[in-house]
Amino acid sequence: MKSQRLIAMAITAVTALSMTAGCAGGAGSTSGGGTDTNTADTNAATEAPAVESSESKEIIFWNIAVESPDKEIISYAVDQFNANTTSGYTVTQIPTQNDTYKEKLVIAMSSGECPDIYTSWSGGPMNEYIEAGFAQPIDDLVNASDIKDKLMEAAWAQGQYKGKQYSVPTYNISISGVFYNKEMFDKYGLKVPNSVSELEAICDTLVENGITPFALANASKWTGSMYFMSLATRFDGLEPFNAAADGSGSFEDESYVYAGEKIQEWVGKKYFPDGVNSLSEDDGQAKQLMYQEKAAMLLCGSWYTGTFQTDSPEFYEKIGWFSFPAVDGSSSDPSIQIGTIGDQFLQFNITGDKLAAAFEMATYYSSDDAIKLMVDSGKIPPVKNIADLVTDPVTKDILDACLNASSTQLWYDQYLPPAVAEVHKDTSQELFGLTMTPQEANAKLQEAMQSYLADK
Amino acid sequence: MSLYDKRRAETRRAASIFLAPVIILMLIYIAYPIYDSFNISFFRWNGITAGRAFIGIQNWLDLMRDSSFWASFKNNVVIMILSIVIQIPIGLALATFLDFGGKKLNVFKVIWFVPLLMSSVAVGFLFRYALATNGGLISTIFGWFGGGNIDLLGDPNRALLTVIMVICWQFIPFYMVYFMAAYTNISFDIYEASIIDGATRGQYFLNIALPLLTPAMKSAAILSMVGSLKYFDLIYVMTGGGPGTSTELMATYMYKQSFKNFNMGYGSTVACGMFILISLMALITMRLLNSGKED
Repeated sequence: MKSQRLIAMAITAVTALSMTAGCAGGAGSTSGGGTDTNTADTNAATEAPAVESSESKEIIFWNIAVESPDKEIISYAVDQFNANTTSGYTVTQIPTQNDTYKEKLVIAMSSGECPDIYTSWSGGPMNEYIEAGFAQPIDDLVNASDIKDKLMEAAWAQGQYKGKQYSVPTYNISISGVFYNKEMFDKYGLKVPNSVSELEAICDTLVENGITPFALANASKWTGSMYFMSLATRFDGLEPFNAAADGSGSFEDESYVYAGEKIQEWVGKKYFPDGVNSLSEDDGQAKQLMYQEKAAMLLCGSWYTGTFQTDSPEFYEKIGWFSFPAVDGSSSDPSIQIGTIGDQFLQFNITGDKLAAAFEMATYYSSDDAIKLMVDSGKIPPVKNIADLVTDPVTKDILDACLNASSTQLWYDQYLPPAVAEVHKDTSQELFGLTMTPQEANAKLQEAMQSYLADK
Repeated sequence: MSLYDKRRAETRRAASIFLAPVIILMLIYIAYPIYDSFNISFFRWNGITAGRAFIGIQNWLDLMRDSSFWASFKNNVVIMILSIVIQIPIGLALATFLDFGGKKLNVFKVIWFVPLLMSSVAVGFLFRYALATNGGLISTIFGWFGGGNIDLLGDPNRALLTVIMVICWQFIPFYMVYFMAAYTNISFDIYEASIIDGATRGQYFLNIALPLLTPAMKSAAILSMVGSLKYFDLIYVMTGGGPGTSTELMATYMYKQSFKNFNMGYGSTVACGMFILISLMALITMRLLNSGKED
């Protein structure tokens, strides 16, 4: 008996220990790596990393381009640079799938293994990276380069932090909007809606005919956030959000109550697929519903044009796009768009010659051939003359909405600080699951925002 | 005598040489990280900056009051109880079946063992598709009988139970093998003697095999308990703690805090809290299970 007990005890001890060791392992190595970069950042950022750069002529570039067409676009500049450069450096790119990437990057940084170039969505997380010293200002390089005048002001602005340029915008303007199946709309005699009540009338017709109005895969959480952002913005513009984010307002504002209530009303009316919170965007379960023609509309980022085109050019023929309609009786400007100007921003965690070489690589994204490749694959690169380049009808609609927008708001989940963004994504998922009332969800979000501002 | 001493000294030296690699590895990868996690839990730190702010026991106070942490602890306890209640009896039943059946049942032995050979991530993906609301296995089968789509992973009331069933599917084979090994420890003589004395198979199982298997069942229960309390991978792959926080576990909560919310200090506190809770529960359970044996 004694030995049995000993064995049991030993097994318990080992399993219990291995658990903490597993998680603490990351944290443990963190402190080591942290101190390394520490010395580099606090001083004028030129010294310590320069030593490193003289050791290796390879520039490591992390990105999220695992699928076409992003893969070809990202590779294009890298290949051009490697073939043409005289700097002596080569760029090696390592793509990682979207949702995994965000975490992989944080873990890499926390263990001092931050890549030389990495992409981000700008906003809150980018600011965290910069604050932590994992990005270098590139104002001088930008000013000396011809891409400064080539790219849109708004795109550059999105890559700035505290008045300095840290990021280079690359290949896509993405705004949130509704993709719809034109054939289905014709079949049921539906027209593009100008107000939320018209949109609801469309949805009701579709439900009557056994079609799910909106394809949505909300296990990924940020996908459902699109509805929350769109409804709140159309209800009362951007002012409530800006006020809530800087602490002068609150997420308990009536526009968020409206957004939450509308979402729950729509869930009740079966506007979304069954099991919406179990469907995964990463597994393509939203677009599958579109392809199977079980769903008629999809509210998501305009990068979907590229996705549809690549997956099935025939299906893309059936697709139309409209900007989220106005809320009835609201004075809010319906031209406001939510999205990003120049998505996938490049940050540079290197200095000196190596930084110059890396920046040279980034300029290839604005070369005429690269821009043509982007436009051909349904992207909207943030260049000033973009309106002359786009011919695809859907992309043209999206571009018009962008260019006519009185202002643009970055995605909430990217704009907000990460800890608050996570709560926002959780509560918006709870709204779709009907497990929280809009008031509870908004109170929880406000609480997270307040505790962030208090810690700051 | 001097020869004896010399031999002992030699044995000690040899032992320390052989043990050194293990001890060094354990110090680096287990002891130091545990120490460092506790250390970090006293700081406010986002995990990537160089500077950390010492805030004393603030994180620990927050942890005590953190309803999300205790909600995830509750989910862990639900998994723990259901795992023990479901996995061990079924594992024992399968092992008994295989033990009584002998060689001709080897086919089942192999088939039943397969789930354990698959990695948790693969199992998670597999079931995410099998349980999908639209076009998943369960929904399709229900459809044949005129039922509608069944939302198993997206419904907060069902998600945890669904995931527990998958965990059981994966780990029952482990307990099956565990009990099969325990059966081989029971001497064949005992079986023969009991049959000669006129025992039926049922009587043999209830009155002889079961008591002899008790120690194995106890350690299985502890293994299952610790395993469920620190559970992470399958949940992370299948639901990511969602929908909402209905399948959030202590480990996924820790991961979220550390790597998604840029809150490494608090994440470490959660990890240390887990460490303390799990160790305490394991020790108490062992005490309770063994208390009957002492007298």
